[in-house]
Amino acid sequence: MATDDLATQLAPRAGANILAVEPFQGLTARVRFRPEGALDVFRAVHDDLGYDHLSMVGAIDWVDHREVFYIVWSDVTKQYLGLSADLTGDAPHIESATPVWPSANWHEREAWELVGVAFDHHPDMRHLLMPDDYAFHPLLRSFKLHEPEELEVKSRSV
Amino acid sequence: MWVNMGPQHPMTHGLWNLRVKIDGELIVDVDPEVGYLHRGIEKISEDRHYNEIITLMDRCCYVAGIAWEHVYIGAAENALHITAPERAQWLRVMCDELQRLASHIMWYAAFVQDLGLMSPFLYGMRDRDLILDLFQSFTGGRLTYEYNRVGGVRNDVPSGFTDRCRKVMDWLMDRFVEYDRLCLGSEIFRRRCDGLGVLKAKECVDLGVTGPMLRSAGVARDLRKDRPYAVYDRVEFDVAKADAADVTARYLVRMEEMRQSVRIVRQTLDWLDHHPGPVLADHLPRWLGAPYAPMGNEGYLLKRNFPRGTGFAAVEEPHGEAQAYVVNTGGEHPYRTKFRSPVFVNLSAAKHYMIGYRVADIPPIMGSVDICVGEVDR
Amino acid sequence: MSNVTLFDVANGLATLLLTGLGSILPQPLHGWLINPNLIFALAATLFGAILLGASMINTIMLIWFERKMLGRFMDRRGAMHVGYAGLLQNFADGLKLFRKHTLRPREADSLGFYAGPTAYMVTSVLIFGILPISTGWSSGVLPLSLLLALAIFSFAPLFIFISAWSSNNKYSLLGGMRSAAQMIAYEVPILLAVVAVILVSGSFDLTTIVNLQQNYWFWGPLFLALLVFVVGMLAEMERIPFDLPEAEAELVEGWNTEYGGMLFAFFMLADYVRALVGSILVVLLFLGGWTLPSYVPSALTSFPLAGIFWFMLKTYIVFGVFVWIRASLPRVRTDQLLKVGWMRMIPLSLLSVVLAAMLVLVRCLPVFGCVPGLGG
Repeated sequence: MATDDLATQLAPRAGANILAVEPFQGLTARVRFRPEGALDVFRAVHDDLGYDHLSMVGAIDWVDHREVFYIVWSDVTKQYLGLSADLTGDAPHIESATPVWPSANWHEREAWELVGVAFDHHPDMRHLLMPDDYAFHPLLRSFKLHEPEELEVKSRSV
Repeated sequence: MWVNMGPQHPMTHGLWNLRVKIDGELIVDVDPEVGYLHRGIEKISEDRHYNEIITLMDRCCYVAGIAWEHVYIGAAENALHITAPERAQWLRVMCDELQRLASHIMWYAAFVQDLGLMSPFLYGMRDRDLILDLFQSFTGGRLTYEYNRVGGVRNDVPSGFTDRCRKVMDWLMDRFVEYDRLCLGSEIFRRRCDGLGVLKAKECVDLGVTGPMLRSAGVARDLRKDRPYAVYDRVEFDVAKADAADVTARYLVRMEEMRQSVRIVRQTLDWLDHHPGPVLADHLPRWLGAPYAPMGNEGYLLKRNFPRGTGFAAVEEPHGEAQAYVVNTGGEHPYRTKFRSPVFVNLSAAKHYMIGYRVADIPPIMGSVDICVGEVDR
Repeated sequence: MSNVTLFDVANGLATLLLTGLGSILPQPLHGWLINPNLIFALAATLFGAILLGASMINTIMLIWFERKMLGRFMDRRGAMHVGYAGLLQNFADGLKLFRKHTLRPREADSLGFYAGPTAYMVTSVLIFGILPISTGWSSGVLPLSLLLALAIFSFAPLFIFISAWSSNNKYSLLGGMRSAAQMIAYEVPILLAVVAVILVSGSFDLTTIVNLQQNYWFWGPLFLALLVFVVGMLAEMERIPFDLPEAEAELVEGWNTEYGGMLFAFFMLADYVRALVGSILVVLLFLGGWTLPSYVPSALTSFPLAGIFWFMLKTYIVFGVFVWIRASLPRVRTDQLLKVGWMRMIPLSLLSVVLAAMLVLVRCLPVFGCVPGLGG
């Protein structure tokens, strides 16, 4: 099984932080990990498994918690791998992946401003798509569409 | 001196702002500022039916609408555990390649226009129109197609389409020679583009850059080859590649890709000629709202019977690798959709391929990246 | 060729007008009106007005010509709705620009903002008063007309820079700086190429230069000078491939970004006036002006206004070449342009001067024949 192989390969450097390696539609597998050991997992995936290309970082608001997922690609095995971590608490945060994959920069900025997941030690955390003084996280489930009175956007200062 | 190149600027080809710090004519720092075209497609998708989101995907990138439909459809079909019939897959491949041709021709037109070469812009628009006519003949749309459906495509191509399409392909192959003569044959073009906007393979991978930019750096990565989706494993083509990693290399890669696209389209036309069949899957749930789906009892599935799941799909879109991530929690609407736009990532690396060049180099470099703001902001 | 000069026509008109007016008026006014000085002054004014009108109409026709030709190059039809084949399109465009409100940015310097385009326009049009168009169709004998024309022609960077700077816009400033650098860099080779012509013809007077060329057009023996001159003129006229001061891709519209309405029309018109002047100079200096070689049947050169006809034909053909270049070449970069200007064009133009000097010494070349009227 591919998933078992992955688990054993990840074990030496990030074994303690891996919660599960499960099959996933469209991906090789999805690795669920503890957010506290995020950087270890990233390094293990990047260095040991050879997934040197980060394709996507996204976040999902599951109302009771938020999930951050990463899609990485390996040029060696020509496969995608998913990484996913559940963040709990009022101020969900996770270590930034930028030291391992510099391409995470804009993805994380977007995930922060849309879903409200904080990325610690991110080099350039600013608003990306929304105006600089925008105070909402639009992709939260609590953010309802069709309520224009709540969406008063102040002018963007240039 | 910081100069705002945008949001309304001839170089931007869309609505974004490139803040450039210049010292005389030299670029010292750049800071791309996006979001002017943010429509919140991911948020709107939260209360749209699966098939309604296809409409949004067309608006996602205005030069590659049907390729983006394929991106989303791939993920949605994964999430809903539906498989499209074979003929639909071939049609999708044909659409993708036609769209790649249209997008690359549009890119060519805009790119050389940025260099100050006026005529090819109109040549490009003229030739792109032929492809749009083809699209119009079977989707009814020229820019927004709404052709794909969860479980297939909306309708088959009309009779006589394949012959018409072959003629256009022949015409285009001749035009590509002309394009090359106008650009590569021009000393000024070579002097302006050689060694410009270099982004080496290692940096490309680190920065997540994909598509023609990555292939121009010598990495022959193409999802159509590496991880074939639809029926790309059944068509023959070569992955275009160049080594110089500069603007000329990107030009060469895109021109070669156009030729390969023509090759693929010809193969799909041959297949479509000889293999009639359904283009939409049977037994689709009625709440998908798919037109022409059988509405009898046997085709009706209750939604509680429908499996949950999360789907992921990656498609080699004209600009690079596009990905979609669709979370299906069993409802009529996807719980969350997330799209990865290749241009978004290519643009985020701007600092690495722009600093040190001159103000006059900004349009060719940005042109070679092939910015489509619609998919950057989504 | 016709013996009536343009000034004769103006003079006749003025005399007719003033004597006619004077004959119906009482004595003190009558005597004052038929004063020859006044007649001369009115004649000069009329002459200027006719010249200005003709040059403006020509300029606008030139724009039409370029639009139609570019259209054909680009597989489209160009302007075609206003008037026959769109002949009146540019007049309509001009009228539209004329009616528009001219906006001035709040922070722009008022004096420079308005004075720049006006001076640019005036100096460009002024050259028409100097250039001979056909025998007798010039303002008179100016022994140094060539030098004067080039001197006025090279005023332009000053005014462009003034308008660019006073616009208070970053793009304008960049464009103005580029424009100044470019025009200064290409001024030198142009003048050196002209020196070659002067060496061979032995005259600074354009009429003399043209008359010398009747059977000996200079483009053949002075081909290098022609090449340098045309390239330099392209740069001076700021046309593709040297249109980087107004490179719309990066600098929006360069130095005229902030201009609209009539002020923009001034710039636009002045650009085409300069393009026309450039083409005319090429024709005058290298292509024999209004003359045709003497072996051409006299029927072709003796019909009324034949000189002007051939002159305009040659001018439009030269301009057509400029349009052709515009349709098929991309824009060069600033540093490349300056490098070519200082490091290629100047040596080449010096070489052309040397070649011209050798031509004067040798006098006769195998294919081109002998230089006429040398030493006279």
